[in-house]
Amino acid sequence: MENAFWGNIFKGWRKEENPTVLTLKQVPIFKGFSNKQYREIENLIHERTYKPNEYVFKKKAPGVGMYIILSGKVEIFIEEADGKKQTLAELKEGDFFGELSLLDEEVRSASALAKEHSTLLGFFRPDLFSLLERNPELGNKILLNLARVIGARLRKTNELLTESQAAE
Amino acid sequence: MSKLKDPLQQIYRVIIGLIIVGFVYVIWPYISIVVVMLVLAFLFTTILLPVVDYLERKIKSRGLSVLIMTIIVIAVISVFLGSFTSNFIKQTKEFSSQLNQDDYISDLNSFAEKAISSLPEFMRDIIPKTGNMTDKLQGQVSEFLQNLLSFAGAVGSFVFTAVMVIIFTVIILYGYYHFRKSLVRFIPNKYFEIGLRLIFNIERSVSSYLRGQLLAATSVAILSIIGLFILNAFGANLTLVVFIGIIAGLANLIPLVGPFVGMAPAILIAFMNNLGNNVALGHKLFGILPSPFFIVDIILMFLIVQQIDNNYVTPKVVGESVGLHPILVMIVLLIGGTLLGPLGMLFAVPAAGVIKVVGQEIAFVSRNAYLL
Repeated sequence: MENAFWGNIFKGWRKEENPTVLTLKQVPIFKGFSNKQYREIENLIHERTYKPNEYVFKKKAPGVGMYIILSGKVEIFIEEADGKKQTLAELKEGDFFGELSLLDEEVRSASALAKEHSTLLGFFRPDLFSLLERNPELGNKILLNLARVIGARLRKTNELLTESQAAE
Repeated sequence: MSKLKDPLQQIYRVIIGLIIVGFVYVIWPYISIVVVMLVLAFLFTTILLPVVDYLERKIKSRGLSVLIMTIIVIAVISVFLGSFTSNFIKQTKEFSSQLNQDDYISDLNSFAEKAISSLPEFMRDIIPKTGNMTDKLQGQVSEFLQNLLSFAGAVGSFVFTAVMVIIFTVIILYGYYHFRKSLVRFIPNKYFEIGLRLIFNIERSVSSYLRGQLLAATSVAILSIIGLFILNAFGANLTLVVFIGIIAGLANLIPLVGPFVGMAPAILIAFMNNLGNNVALGHKLFGILPSPFFIVDIILMFLIVQQIDNNYVTPKVVGESVGLHPILVMIVLLIGGTLLGPLGMLFAVPAAGVIKVVGQEIAFVSRNAYLL
């Protein structure tokens, strides 16, 4: 039995200690929300565990939403015509991927594979749409953050394209 | 070793499957009522969910939104059922007392004789003699009033089912998103995204169908009430107009058969109220077509309402949400009606819609199995 005088009986009182909320706070799409709003997002998020070398999704599969890495590593890659694997990114704790699928029903442009035992948080389009219905303030904040992330990726792509054109 | 393991696993799975099917078959009579309650609760949840979501958006409390919604629904159903029952009993009593009056019986007899004499000769022998008919009708009405007591017993079991459905609906409405999340947790990683897609598509298809049907039913009810009031302005002498309209709207929820069921109470009441009224008996539609007791007028009015509903309202509000071929709708209705009666007919089309969506998803998965 825990000693009430010396033991930390106050542990768990601070809601923000929750690892899911802590991870969400690192993701630009979920930045700047109140604790109540984080709890609401937490209710919509699906926690999934993947074994090493298990696919999260495959290229050309219809996308339903985005994933945030709570723990572990995920490799994003494409297979070229000759069957050679080209790694596009290796993502770790706190990173996220597949966010474009929150907006449209297009197919996945690359495959995602768990490199080690990983726990991912999935946030999906139907849940975002239902959130927009029930709590438009929070739903719109997420959409605005999502637009910022996509804008930043577009700007970066533009820079890389300009650099590569200048190098040619 | 792995080659040996696969067939063994398959045999094991088949045995487990058979045990599960056998178990469900044995316990089905005991759980069927609970399953029906849960299905009803899910259907009501699907209809009420957007309203609860809307209330939650306004008052920022899920619990309070569900409470307000429940109070509104119970109040509306109670007012409707209470008012309908009292009016219906009043109408039946009036008709019963009218039947006991001699002039009324002679009116009914003379109407029956007139109607029979207008029939071709070979059909006259089939119709029972008028004296027998009025006796039978008198007997049946008094029997009906006596049966009201035994009917009260059936009402008791209906009330129990209704209360349980309301409780289930409240619980599901309150924790809907939590339940969905718990359900999704059991999907294996391999089928996770496809499972989510399936749940989302079923939700979308069923809810748009149900909401569309409800809107179409509301429009049929309102149009029927307006139509009946117009007929009353021309002297049709119809009572319980609002209830007839609502029944017509509710009957409209059953495709193909519903519209004809909706007409019946209006024709019955026109007949009951106007018997003995020679003006109503000799009424002609547009002054040309004989329409005793405004019956042809009522049929025409309901046909116009159906045309407006089928051509303008339903295509807009229901659209291609379920998108079943009319012949398939008919087959599905017959199967539903045979299995579960009117309730089966009501749920036949949305159930077929769910099966269609599941079939489409299975076809999609089997075409793209390499994506799993």
